[in-house]
Amino acid sequence: MKKKTMLLSFVLFFLFFVPVSAEYDYNSPEFQSIVSKLYMQGHSDHDIATCSVKQMYYEEVLSMLNEEGMSEDEIIQYYVDEYGQSALKEPEFGKSGILAWLIPFAVIVAGLIMIVFWLKKVKKGKQAEEANGVSWQSDTEKEITEKIFDEERYKRF
Amino acid sequence: MHIIGYTLLCLGIFVSAFSLIANVIGYKKKDKRWLKSARGGILSLLLIAGSAGFLLFCLLGTGQFQFKYVASYTNESLPLVYKLTAFWAGNEGSLLLWVILLCITAGMVIFSNHIQNQLIPYVSCVLLLNILFFFIVIFFTSNPFEVTDTIPIDGLGLNPMLQHPGMIFHPLAIFLGYVCLTVPFSFAVASLAANRADGEWIQLTRRWILASWLFLTIGNLLGGWWAYQELGWGGYWAWDPVENSSFLPWLTMTALLHSVMIQERKGMLRLWNMSLIIISYLLTLFGTFLVRSGILTSVHAFSDSGIGNYFLAFLFLMTVLSLYLLITRYEIIKKEANPIESYFSKESSFLLNNLILVASAFAVFWGTLYPLLSEVFTGTRVNVGPPYFNKVMAPIMLALIVLMAACPLIAWKKAHVKKFLRNFTWPLAAGLLSSCILFAAGLRGILAIIGLSCTVTMFASHVQEFVNGIRARRKVKKENVLLSSWKLLMKNRRRYGGYIVHIGVAFLALGVISSHAYSQEVLKTVQTGDNFSIGDYQLTFKGLTEVIENDKGIVAADVEIAYKGKYLGMVQPEKVFYETWPEPTSEVAIKEHRFQDIYVVLSSWESLNKATFQVKLNPFVSWIWSGGIIMMIGTLFSLIGGTRINNRVYKFSSSKAGEF
Repeated sequence: MKKKTMLLSFVLFFLFFVPVSAEYDYNSPEFQSIVSKLYMQGHSDHDIATCSVKQMYYEEVLSMLNEEGMSEDEIIQYYVDEYGQSALKEPEFGKSGILAWLIPFAVIVAGLIMIVFWLKKVKKGKQAEEANGVSWQSDTEKEITEKIFDEERYKRF
Repeated sequence: MHIIGYTLLCLGIFVSAFSLIANVIGYKKKDKRWLKSARGGILSLLLIAGSAGFLLFCLLGTGQFQFKYVASYTNESLPLVYKLTAFWAGNEGSLLLWVILLCITAGMVIFSNHIQNQLIPYVSCVLLLNILFFFIVIFFTSNPFEVTDTIPIDGLGLNPMLQHPGMIFHPLAIFLGYVCLTVPFSFAVASLAANRADGEWIQLTRRWILASWLFLTIGNLLGGWWAYQELGWGGYWAWDPVENSSFLPWLTMTALLHSVMIQERKGMLRLWNMSLIIISYLLTLFGTFLVRSGILTSVHAFSDSGIGNYFLAFLFLMTVLSLYLLITRYEIIKKEANPIESYFSKESSFLLNNLILVASAFAVFWGTLYPLLSEVFTGTRVNVGPPYFNKVMAPIMLALIVLMAACPLIAWKKAHVKKFLRNFTWPLAAGLLSSCILFAAGLRGILAIIGLSCTVTMFASHVQEFVNGIRARRKVKKENVLLSSWKLLMKNRRRYGGYIVHIGVAFLALGVISSHAYSQEVLKTVQTGDNFSIGDYQLTFKGLTEVIENDKGIVAADVEIAYKGKYLGMVQPEKVFYETWPEPTSEVAIKEHRFQDIYVVLSSWESLNKATFQVKLNPFVSWIWSGGIIMMIGTLFSLIGGTRINNRVYKFSSSKAGEF
């Protein structure tokens, strides 16, 4: 029993207190997630094969993950501390970037309101229903048939 | 030679200035001699610009390195086709190309028999103002005939990344789009100047509007295709300021193409259409300013040669002129608008479509300018890259696709909800079925599946429209299916041409959504004979070879591709080292299989037996290019058809046109 308890304690100690050393590489989702957020001084969309700046960033991020054991947030924060918001590919949702995110959608809402008001202004009163009793299967059928009648009319008269 | 070049540019300035003045005097004094002289001036400009262009072609083709432009963009070993197309590789040549195209267009408009009317003098004034501006800019800031202090033995050569078929035609298509757009703008401004509120400018320039849209579409797609094939990062659109600058007028022109239909049918949206064409034109100037001023950093931008100020000044001038005309003619444009009959009608759906397209143009504009605005107003530099644009544009584009699915089924004037719902049943069922199939196939990502299903619905609603049209025709004419289909298309080219374009958009959207949501990427270092996997594909590295060809050294890797153990073929990604270029370029190897691109880039190597590869699996990218081709076919179909201008009867609401 004593042996079992000691073995269990040993296993639990290793599970909870010994840091797990996961080796990250360029294909790790964690690595991909970090580099996809970094602007890399304008080199983020360059070909990794030929861009030395991008290669340098890749190596640096990998070393932060593997050797310094930094988390994604810590690495991102490191670059933000170093270069400011320009380290990132997109504006943050906070106060410095809120306008960037909100304005396009505000414009759509404003446009929608304007259209509704304009439509109200230019809309006719209640229209009389179509006088002829012809019922069409679809509006396309109605349009095409009317067009054919027009063609025939031009041909004959 | 350089004296001839300088003389031609000087003549260009003087003749365009003279023609502009002659036009104004001719119409002030009602003197036909001045007007004839102005028309002659336009013909002379065509000759002058054509000669300048021919001269530059000769200099490039024969390698006259005493000319700075030739020495900067060509060298002895460059293939002739790239020597000649280096014409538009730099600032100077591309501006000369622009003015040549403008002169050709001005000639076509002014000497066209179809559009001889009272607006022409105003139109020619606007076109001449543009031509004059470009000649001034070329002469003072970007002269392609400038000579070097000492004659170099060889030139610097063309950027290897520009040595690609896509880059031969991409700038040409974009410039053609910009130039064609100048024509409806000139007619719109002419219409305002002549106090005309009717839609004649739209009738007269319908084909120019379509042509402009077609060329902008071709230009943007070719740009994307080139980026995908040549830049080696595996994508086709990076929301770069330069890409955005040609995408912006495309969006506003798409809005215009739809809203002019409301003006043609109902006489509504006159002010809106005027504003749209003016905005589109100003966006072409703004885009050029962005690309050439150096205020925004971009991989594609031209070097800052000081022409930004000229473009800014011209942009300001044209904005003030357009605004002045719009404000002073507001009362004339405003009147005579017909009321709409129902909220639920094609007219309303087109309004919504315009809102979405203009809002998306605004979002792109805002995102492009935000870094600059942020730096100016807060002092903080903020980047707005692809993740921002993807997040903002995705819901807007999704709304557009949903609208495109519903819009063809909504009738003009007044649509009936019941009929609409009945017609929408099948497309909606197709969309729902597709989402079930996608889930069953194991695809995840709810947003992507919604996007794909909406696109399928949109595709189905257009197919249904074709079927309904054919059925309706057969019911009346008793024709067979083939004849009926053919006649339906030929008799309604505008309508069905538009539908073909929409089907192309569906293909393009499927490609964009799939390649964004389901692409995979792997970066692997392997020894000769080793293999690695991406998705269901296995790649085996067979070895590196080194070759020296003319002025370049090529390192190529042989990579064997297999799908679930079945051999598919060999690809050869390369790294090319040019004598005249400091950095090597990657030649990507792309293997298409089951609508997926296996995109292989040779990243680096330690020895001939050990190399690193970047491999991407891009699903449905080929559908983007196929969609683009379908869009072009649809636009050409609409462009060729339609009633001839001189057969139309116009109602002029004002007779003040002769006052100028």
